[in-house]
Amino acid sequence: MGGSLSRDHFSRAGRLWGWFLFLVILGFSFKESQVDLKSLVGGLAQSYALGKEMLPPDFSRWRQVLVMAGETLAMGFWGTLFGMILSLPLGFLASRNITPNRWIYGGSKFLITFLRAVPEVIYAFFFVTAFGLGPLAGITALTIATVGLLGKFYAEAVESIDEKPMEALKATGSRTLGVIGHAVIPQVMPLFMGYNLYLLDHNIRVALTLGVVGAGGLGVELFTQMRGFHYQKAAAILVIIVLIIAAIDRASASLRNSIIKGDLLQRGNRLKDVPLLGTIGILAVLSLYFFPFELHTLIAGAPRIWEFLKEMFPPDFSRITIYLQLILETLGMGITGTFLAILLGLPLGALTARNMMRHKIIYNLGKEITNFLRAMPELVSALIFVVAVGLGPFAGVLAIGLHTAGFLGKFYAEAIENVDPKPIEAVEATGARFLQRISHSIFPQVLPLFNSYNLYILDRNIRASTFMGLVGAGGIGFELVMTSRMFEYKQMAAMLIVILSTLMAVDWFSTYWRKKVV
Amino acid sequence: MPGGLGHGQSERVLPLRSLRKDPMVKVTDLCKRFNGQEILAGVNLRVKKGEALALIGPSGSGKTTLIRAINGFVIPDSGSISVGAQEISPNNSESLRQVRKKIGMIYQLFNLVERTSVEINVLAGALGRLDRGFSLLSSTLGFFTREERDKARELLHFVGIEDKARERVDRLSGGQKQRVAIARALMQEPELLLADEPIANLDPKSSRKIIELLFRINQEKKITMITVLHHLDSVRDYFHRVVALKNGSICFDADTRSLNNRRVQFIYELEEEREWAAA
Repeated sequence: MGGSLSRDHFSRAGRLWGWFLFLVILGFSFKESQVDLKSLVGGLAQSYALGKEMLPPDFSRWRQVLVMAGETLAMGFWGTLFGMILSLPLGFLASRNITPNRWIYGGSKFLITFLRAVPEVIYAFFFVTAFGLGPLAGITALTIATVGLLGKFYAEAVESIDEKPMEALKATGSRTLGVIGHAVIPQVMPLFMGYNLYLLDHNIRVALTLGVVGAGGLGVELFTQMRGFHYQKAAAILVIIVLIIAAIDRASASLRNSIIKGDLLQRGNRLKDVPLLGTIGILAVLSLYFFPFELHTLIAGAPRIWEFLKEMFPPDFSRITIYLQLILETLGMGITGTFLAILLGLPLGALTARNMMRHKIIYNLGKEITNFLRAMPELVSALIFVVAVGLGPFAGVLAIGLHTAGFLGKFYAEAIENVDPKPIEAVEATGARFLQRISHSIFPQVLPLFNSYNLYILDRNIRASTFMGLVGAGGIGFELVMTSRMFEYKQMAAMLIVILSTLMAVDWFSTYWRKKVV
Repeated sequence: MPGGLGHGQSERVLPLRSLRKDPMVKVTDLCKRFNGQEILAGVNLRVKKGEALALIGPSGSGKTTLIRAINGFVIPDSGSISVGAQEISPNNSESLRQVRKKIGMIYQLFNLVERTSVEINVLAGALGRLDRGFSLLSSTLGFFTREERDKARELLHFVGIEDKARERVDRLSGGQKQRVAIARALMQEPELLLADEPIANLDPKSSRKIIELLFRINQEKKITMITVLHHLDSVRDYFHRVVALKNGSICFDADTRSLNNRRVQFIYELEEEREWAAA
């Protein structure tokens, strides 16, 4: 079948089979992730009890926390800067219209895809094992993950440019670099700026959580306080994390909006753009102060990494059946978490769609809940849920499900807000009843979008499930920690390969179906 | 069938006297102001059963408002409208729904659900009829009876795109989309068909085919039709009667044969002069 799907592309029997398959997979996922209704209710009750112990937050260590927050911001900044510098050549090499050599183009493209396949936290864990604890591991992890994302964005931007100015410059006999400098860069500059800003935003969020695996930043402090049962001190750090993320969220959205519209620093925007850009400048200066200038660590670390890589080869697949079982558990967690996110996201989305919800208070309340869920990093909430409901995949499912319910709520609301009103009127004009109008004019418009978002979230949740185990919240990540603690690097390498191939397969699957659905 | 329609007097619409005399639509003293501007200023109109009426006039003259008032999407400030024997009461949603069931509507931009199939879009026309008990439930869930599906197929055959039944609407050309919209309106088994500039977004060839289709619907199915249209040749060839609106009131109402150039100039150009003067 070449085309995309619509509901009646399937026969009725086919649809029934689809539903059956869906329920089987869902049942399997519930079993794998050890979720049932009783544990869900019990888990939420336990989380509530823990939440009460966290109140009121204890800010007595605010000086240390502030320093750690600075370190976290610096990690995000340096990771983005280094990633940017590395992505720049790689992005151009991976653009079909700039790099005529098929091998260089293909190789660069593959490298970027490969780098993107592994979650940042897994990188961080890997570099903590190689370099030891500290922000250096975090910055390195962020840098590499940034290249995976930014390289792709850059290449796509370059490939989408208007080629006429390029040809005009080539016609003047200019060299390739000249062509890039005068015909390509001016065109892609606003896009690049937007992406860089997005990555800075993204990396600071990630940096806040990396400490949980020991890679520096606020996460370290949070992890220590949680493990020491100082829940009120941990709560104070949580508050700081959520506040930082909320601030970044708004600042970055506002700046990127200006860049895309092309009116950055224009009259009327100056009042908000100058302070925002100034903040980034201050952040840059601050980052210099926090840069881990431990050159000796870096120099000592370089051969260490090489040794480490040597120790990983050849990968030891002797325990492959266990890995595959754990991968199944990981997949189950991702699916169950997504299901939870959809269940919570649907009401949130309906309540926060401006054209559906006229009631101001409910609308604002829904928006705030959605924003809070999105702002709470899943690794951080996993750490808390592990304390509340115990080790195991259930904690991971709760963390993932709640976090991505925030995403889905936002996406759903936007989809509902963008519904085309014309068909709704047309169906109303046939004399259809209210429910018929919803099912025949609104639902068919939003359903493909919803499904596309769900698939995207499923993809991302399976990725997240691979590292939930690093804090004991189920999936293959836990085994990864155990093998590294036992210095079984060959087994660790085998697991990384299993994780990588699973994630690449999931990515392919999700992209393929998303194209079909929309 | 009407192969060479529109090229000679012999293929013109059937003369009015063969039509029944009782009114299908009765508009009395209709007034509507919008943002302080008078859109409809006391419109009186009777449309006979089976009549094909073309509504013309410069933009902003109130044509669309009049059409939308007839199926209750515009609430008039004063005056009344009845369709068949039933009065339009925009504030009573149930009675409004009952009237709307009998009125098919065709839009300039087709107003189809783009991401679903042609067939599902056509079946949506049956929703008004399937408004009780089990058929309400099943139609809401997207299940239709064999008869409804067969009827949808038959109508798609009638409008000439039976082969596209399972295609997604966003793959179709504009002309094809308008055919789907017409099939959806016919699915209602309407007594009255309203069309708001049905060919304004189509190329000349598709436009002609759509107009010919509307003509056939009027002639074969005896469905009363009110169409907002700017293509005056089509108006002359395919419609019984032409009504022109200007500044919210009817300035011309006659048999289409009497629509000569001088009158067209009166309807459209004088308006421009006034705009010039105002500027």
